Amino acid sequence: MSSMVPNDPGPRLPGTELELAWRSSRHARRLLTLGLFGVFVATLARRPEFAGVAAPALLLLAAGRVQRRPPRITVRARASSRRGFEGELMAVDVVVEGYDDGRVRWTLHPGREIAPVGAAAADGQAARFTFTPERWGRREIGTLDVVLRDRWRLAEGHATMTLPKLDCYPAPAEQRTKVVLRRLPNRLGEHPARVSGEGIEFFGVREYVPGDRQRSINWPASTRRGRLQVNTFAAERSQDVVLLADATSDVGQPGMSALDLALRGAAAAARAYTDARDRVGVITYQWGGASWLVPGLGRRQVYRIIDSMLASDAGWARGASFRRLPRAALPPGALVVVFSPLLDQRFVETLRDMRERGFTMLVVDVLNAEPPARPRIVDRMARRIWRMEQEAIRFSLRELGVPVVHWDGVESLDLPLAAYTRRPMAARR
Amino acid sequence: MRGTVRGAIGVRIAACLLGAGCVVWATVPQVHRGTADFALFLAIVGVAAGALRLALTAVPVPEDSYLLPAALRGWLSFLATLRAVPWEEGALLAVLWLEVLHPSRPWHTAVLGAALIAYLLAVHLAESGASPQALRPQVRVLACGAALLALGAGAGMLPAAGPGAGSALLRLVAAGALIAAAGLVLPYVARGDAPPPPPA
Repeated sequence: MSSMVPNDPGPRLPGTELELAWRSSRHARRLLTLGLFGVFVATLARRPEFAGVAAPALLLLAAGRVQRRPPRITVRARASSRRGFEGELMAVDVVVEGYDDGRVRWTLHPGREIAPVGAAAADGQAARFTFTPERWGRREIGTLDVVLRDRWRLAEGHATMTLPKLDCYPAPAEQRTKVVLRRLPNRLGEHPARVSGEGIEFFGVREYVPGDRQRSINWPASTRRGRLQVNTFAAERSQDVVLLADATSDVGQPGMSALDLALRGAAAAARAYTDARDRVGVITYQWGGASWLVPGLGRRQVYRIIDSMLASDAGWARGASFRRLPRAALPPGALVVVFSPLLDQRFVETLRDMRERGFTMLVVDVLNAEPPARPRIVDRMARRIWRMEQEAIRFSLRELGVPVVHWDGVESLDLPLAAYTRRPMAARR
Repeated sequence: MRGTVRGAIGVRIAACLLGAGCVVWATVPQVHRGTADFALFLAIVGVAAGALRLALTAVPVPEDSYLLPAALRGWLSFLATLRAVPWEEGALLAVLWLEVLHPSRPWHTAVLGAALIAYLLAVHLAESGASPQALRPQVRVLACGAALLALGAGAGMLPAAGPGAGSALLRLVAAGALIAAAGLVLPYVARGDAPPPPPA
């Protein structure tokens, strides 16, 4: 998984200048108590030996006053990468400048959904904290408490800094096989098409015409027929794939919710299809609107797709309905792979509308939750009705020629898609 | 690693023993006047709670304390109280007050003073996790303090120059002046082992 992330450490930041709030340490307060009370008792009881008791403590405090205490320091924080995947081990390096005595204490307070790995506190001028983002999204790594101590540990300088943010991508599911359309656009790719061309997969035999290469002559067939025959090969084409992620409903356990599975499935599909040199785009559907990314090629497109989905989750949308999507975002003849729990009726209507406009679609159902089970008969009945409604929605889509497969988020995506990856998928009109 | 752990445990045990020794030293012979019993109680509680705090230094506290069971919340409150209250300061005051309640015995008080300083340094090492080597820069100052402590005890043992409170007050002022003079000179002594300032 980590191989997907380019080696992209965060930039070397100019450093954060922190004002230090110096105050006495507990040790200094204890010495002060001993010194002041000794002098007080010596004065009150007129016994000079108590002044002697107070003397070492007061001397230590007086000598400690000459220690160097910088009013501010510069802290540089650098994350090992600005983006990562769920569950990936990451690190942030911090180093203090302007204080070379080395008595620095760092304490990491991790942000939400950030799990520290190993110790959350360290000593020294530089420190490295490792952590794991547990859920996708733009995450704050956390805050860092810096405590500087003078040489005699009589004073402590405190400062707090906020660590840089991190883009955490959903961990892609496993998908190796691809759904391929039967009719592919006339564009060079890796999928064998149903027309002869310059591919490597055997397509058929035809009679030799002048200009054919001699190496493609099929000698056994030529011997049988008495005339020269040549092999023909299937053309290799690419396809347009549009991933449609439904972000309207987020039901289920955190970490395995419908939205989690939709994003992980879409990330896996984006990776699989871009690896096959297909042009892949994404449309993220939200309440009443959609954001999109025009299909494109290459590994960078995977990150653009995930970024687009995460940005949609953060709240920005171009406020467009599917009818107003530009042609580039939803090219005619594209394969549309939908990841949705099919809970939003408007979204289901949108799917029906797209099917009627002739798009070839495949729905991956990511709903793995049900209404809570309660003993009351009314609740049980409501639950049965809800199940029947869900079945009806899926049945109606299948009747329209939209295959619906269920994915539980644990197994590979290849398993539910197996029936559609074995042979090219027909575009029914 | 094992040596480090053993050293940390040793420093904690030393702090506990020094605290207990100070209480015993200041108490014996036991007096039963004034607030002696209460001071003894405070000293024992302070030293015991301070030792417990040192023993539980490494116990982690969860960042998120919502929706915890009552027993765990109680334990966390106990830990927070144990770590927030200045037990050692209370023990210091009580031990010194116990010593005051006894008749004048300067050498005894000087030994107590040395033990109290050792107790504070041991507590500091135990709670900061520093090695005893961290005290090396302070050796000169501690030696000056020990000399002043001895001078104070010696001043206490000198017979009064004359009857009345004036002579005792005079000795006290002399001791205070000595401390002040040492405090003025000491920064130059301490600066001697400080690292040189960085070049401009």
